[in-house]
Amino acid sequence: MSRNSIKILPGALVCEESKLRGDITIGSGTIVHPSATIIAEAGPIIIGDCCLIEEQVKIIHRLPFDQQNKENTTPVLIIGSNNVFEVDCTVESPKIGNNNVFESKCFVGNKVTVSNGCTIGAGCRVDG
Amino acid sequence: MELRDINYNKSDYVETASGNKVCRQTVLCGSQNIILQGKVIVQSEAIIRGDLANVKTGRYCIISKEAVLRPPYKKFSKGVAFFPLTMGDHVYVGERSVVNAAIVGNYVYIGKNCVIGRRCTLKDCCVIEDNTVLAPETVVPPFARYGGSPGSHIGDLPECQADLMVDFTRSYYQHFQPTKLI
Repeated sequence: MSRNSIKILPGALVCEESKLRGDITIGSGTIVHPSATIIAEAGPIIIGDCCLIEEQVKIIHRLPFDQQNKENTTPVLIIGSNNVFEVDCTVESPKIGNNNVFESKCFVGNKVTVSNGCTIGAGCRVDG
Repeated sequence: MELRDINYNKSDYVETASGNKVCRQTVLCGSQNIILQGKVIVQSEAIIRGDLANVKTGRYCIISKEAVLRPPYKKFSKGVAFFPLTMGDHVYVGERSVVNAAIVGNYVYIGKNCVIGRRCTLKDCCVIEDNTVLAPETVVPPFARYGGSPGSHIGDLPECQADLMVDFTRSYYQHFQPTKLI
């Protein structure tokens, strides 16, 4: 049973209609629009400052199928600051840097690491 | 070609005096800024962001499931401003489409899963195919068929497109009936 442990720092704006589940830390100045889904299934999610998470965005932290939890440490999904997640993108990447733009309906898979300043175009699918 | 009856659960939808049928499970933010002209169907899980700017639709529009109508924004040196989103009459927005356009004309058909980029202008009588991604600030001319990603002009439409859309949206509205308990 996962307990909801959501820490929202001052200055952040989280809409009531968004779905947050699991252990989530949301940095200051971040805005989470309604219908956004943030699920921290395999471990905590830490979202940096001044991020913009628009509607229907799914940020899901789940373990990939082939990797068991051998090290006994819970992996953390870290998202940097100043990222923009546009409408209906799906992000499962375990490490995201700063100043990225994920345009509408893009998909970033489990095995992808995004560094700083990237733009994932609309509708693009970035798998392993 | 007659459309099939589409039944909905009567308790799920609110029918207004002007004939708008809005599902209760939609996310309508800023509803005072949203103007639905009349006989508009907004299906479940649709999102209309009236809190960012005014959203105005014409008559006989159909907003399918999980579509997102989001007013576009423009970045100025001093920040960001949201512009109103105006839609004409007889517009069909397909499922899961994201509409960030500034102006959508009359008789427009937007397919499923489309991304209409920021501040696009869709003139009257155009068709945006399913799964199209339109770049920001595209102007789609009348009677054009756009498709692909990036969206480009892939065909033309007959002059009767306006009548076809009127027929389509009117009969969709007529066949959108609550399930009758026998």
